[in-house]
Amino acid sequence: MTAPLIHNSSAPADRPATKPPATTPAPAPAPATKPTPERPRWSGRSRKDFLVFLAMALPNLVLIGTFTYWPLINNIYYSTLDWTLGSASATVVGLQNYVTFFTSEDAAKVLGTTGIFTLITVGGSMVLGLLVALALNSKVRGTTFARSAVFAPYVLSGVGVGLVWLFIFDPGYGVLAWILRGLGQQSPQWINDPQLSLVMVIIVYVWKNLGYCAVVYLAGLQSLPRDVMEAAALDGANGVRRFFHISLPLLSPTTFFLLITTMLSSLQAFDLIRIMTPLGNGTSTLIYEAYLQAFGAYNRAGYSAAISVILFAVLLVITVLQLRFVERKVHYS
Amino acid sequence: MRTNLDRRHFLGLAGLGAGAAALAACGGPSTAGTADAVDAATIDFAGVKPAASIAFWTNHPGKSQDVEKAIIDKFHAKFPDIKVNLVTAGANYEEIAQKFQTSQAAKTGLPGLVVLSDVWWFRYFSNGSIIPIDGLVKQLDIKIDDFQRSLVDDYKYDDKQWALPYGRSTPLFYYNKDHFKAAGLPDRAPATWQEFAEWAPKLKATSGAQYAYIYPALAGYAGWTLQNNLWGWGGSWSKDWDITCDSKESVAALQWAQDSIYKDGWAGVSSKEAADDFAAGITSSTISSTGSLLGVLKAAKFNVGVGFLPGGPEAPTGVCPTGGAGLGIPSGISKEEQLAAATFLKFMTEPENTAAFSAATGYMPTRLSADMSAVLAATPQIKTAMDQLAATKVQDNARVFLPGADQEMAKSAAKILTQQGDVQATMTELKKTLEGIYTKDVKPKLKA
Repeated sequence: MTAPLIHNSSAPADRPATKPPATTPAPAPAPATKPTPERPRWSGRSRKDFLVFLAMALPNLVLIGTFTYWPLINNIYYSTLDWTLGSASATVVGLQNYVTFFTSEDAAKVLGTTGIFTLITVGGSMVLGLLVALALNSKVRGTTFARSAVFAPYVLSGVGVGLVWLFIFDPGYGVLAWILRGLGQQSPQWINDPQLSLVMVIIVYVWKNLGYCAVVYLAGLQSLPRDVMEAAALDGANGVRRFFHISLPLLSPTTFFLLITTMLSSLQAFDLIRIMTPLGNGTSTLIYEAYLQAFGAYNRAGYSAAISVILFAVLLVITVLQLRFVERKVHYS
Repeated sequence: MRTNLDRRHFLGLAGLGAGAAALAACGGPSTAGTADAVDAATIDFAGVKPAASIAFWTNHPGKSQDVEKAIIDKFHAKFPDIKVNLVTAGANYEEIAQKFQTSQAAKTGLPGLVVLSDVWWFRYFSNGSIIPIDGLVKQLDIKIDDFQRSLVDDYKYDDKQWALPYGRSTPLFYYNKDHFKAAGLPDRAPATWQEFAEWAPKLKATSGAQYAYIYPALAGYAGWTLQNNLWGWGGSWSKDWDITCDSKESVAALQWAQDSIYKDGWAGVSSKEAADDFAAGITSSTISSTGSLLGVLKAAKFNVGVGFLPGGPEAPTGVCPTGGAGLGIPSGISKEEQLAAATFLKFMTEPENTAAFSAATGYMPTRLSADMSAVLAATPQIKTAMDQLAATKVQDNARVFLPGADQEMAKSAAKILTQQGDVQATMTELKKTLEGIYTKDVKPKLKA
């Protein structure tokens, strides 16, 4: 066994200081005739570091364990029950709730709505966010105000945003209906028509969240190496070429980060859907369907728990796929 | 590939669990056997002393917060040993039900008295969430015979009384008198929808409003008001436990409604609240709850008329459902709290208090002996609601007893009235859904 190398700060000045563990293994020592006792793995310093780590991390780990992972485990158990919310008793049904979901017509509808909502909101927020970031990156007057204005919707309450946009979309007395009437057109039934409801919620979601993407992209754009861009410009590359061949590849860590975070938050989008379409008519994504089944009119708590577990699995798979495959395309420097 | 639990991975995984947290934060059920039945022995209140404090969960139906506060103040003056905390437990019946059901699951934080709507009380009963109040009615000498019989009977099941009526309503036909006058129409509600179909083009042409009539918001109890159309055409959502929404009469009723929007072009569908649309002048008429009456009278800048709901080709009268909310007492609280709640329930439904509640909201007085003379002098339109009570009909089982049925009906109505979906196909699909709910969620809980 290789003896651990210990950094010795008290080495005499005429001797080279010992180094921390090297990446290349040291030559194996000659076998000892008598095994020497192994030195304790933890020195006083390591133990102290570990205690500091515990003091810092433990409260958070306890909180996350209590409020995230313990409910998650409980939820998996509930998903095996036929349980009406509010009832004190339930029956164990094994995987029946999962079978019911996947064999119902709702499954395709809910998964389809989730897919459409996620793809368009993630794509829309990122593409528009990047375009806005490019605009904000230019050196013209008023960009500071514009940055604040673009980011503001992201920090606004989803409930407030939903209520205001409901007034805007209202076909009876909304601003949009008023404009359309001025143009001689009737307002579409944004709120009652399930297909238009989904469009309405997507528009508001993208509006609310593109500021986040814009600010993160802006930070990415401002950290791009200027010498590379200047060299490309000197070589005759025009702005479009520089963007697609230099800026965009160099922004790939930012894009990757945004892809993960916006997709996770999009799959868990709730407030806008709840406020703008309380029945979830046409807007029932996985998370909203889970809510409706338990806390809406149906009170099917076990079934809802199963949908939550399915959502968890979807999120897990997407995250793992992104980390394994998409990250390979990322150019970090 | 080995993946380290770095900050990015950690944050990602932490986010994953959040979706499941809400449900699992509730307390869990017992899988040892049924615990739903309310034991008759537990409802004996002899020797029980009322609790010093209870919570009253309400959504303030008909914007009744001020009158509820006033009644509670009067209660405190009469019963200084019982404090009632008024809690806004939701903006509507669904939100209050959500909070109540969640508290049931968490087994904590339950109120003493809770507002329960026509579509929720039966579920509370079948879950064992509320107690029968017969013992309390007897012990506190609540004059049950002085209540409107039909409204009290709505909360009877298995020979027990499970709640008492509170903010009870019927739909009313609201019309803009000025628009009717300008169109040369009589100052009354139409007797039938066929009559209104003759009036509607004239109204649309002269009123300047977007619609002659607006259907109530589909997200807001469409299943309730559409019973008027279904019954008028001889159809229904269900007859007893047979789902009949796909019968030719039911389909004809909804086809007529669809035609009024797409073919004839004089009707629209409200997006949020038909009473608000009407008060804003967007439409010449609508159907909305009596509980909206005072709000409409206050907001409208025109003369408001109200009348009975129009009949249909098969049934010219008796086409109005009752609705609204009652008050129930949870099973998961102490007997002391239940007794205090019943004391408050009795006070809340006293004749003078039901009259005050009616005056402030437009809901019907629930007591026969309530002196409504001052109320009717101030708001004569309430008389229409009171008179219509005699012509009401018990709601279809499918709407009030099947969990989630109202929402399914609203979705189907949206398909028909906003997407011009095929009526027969939509109703056939709805029937399948409702039968599924009945078989799974209700049939096993019904007494043989």
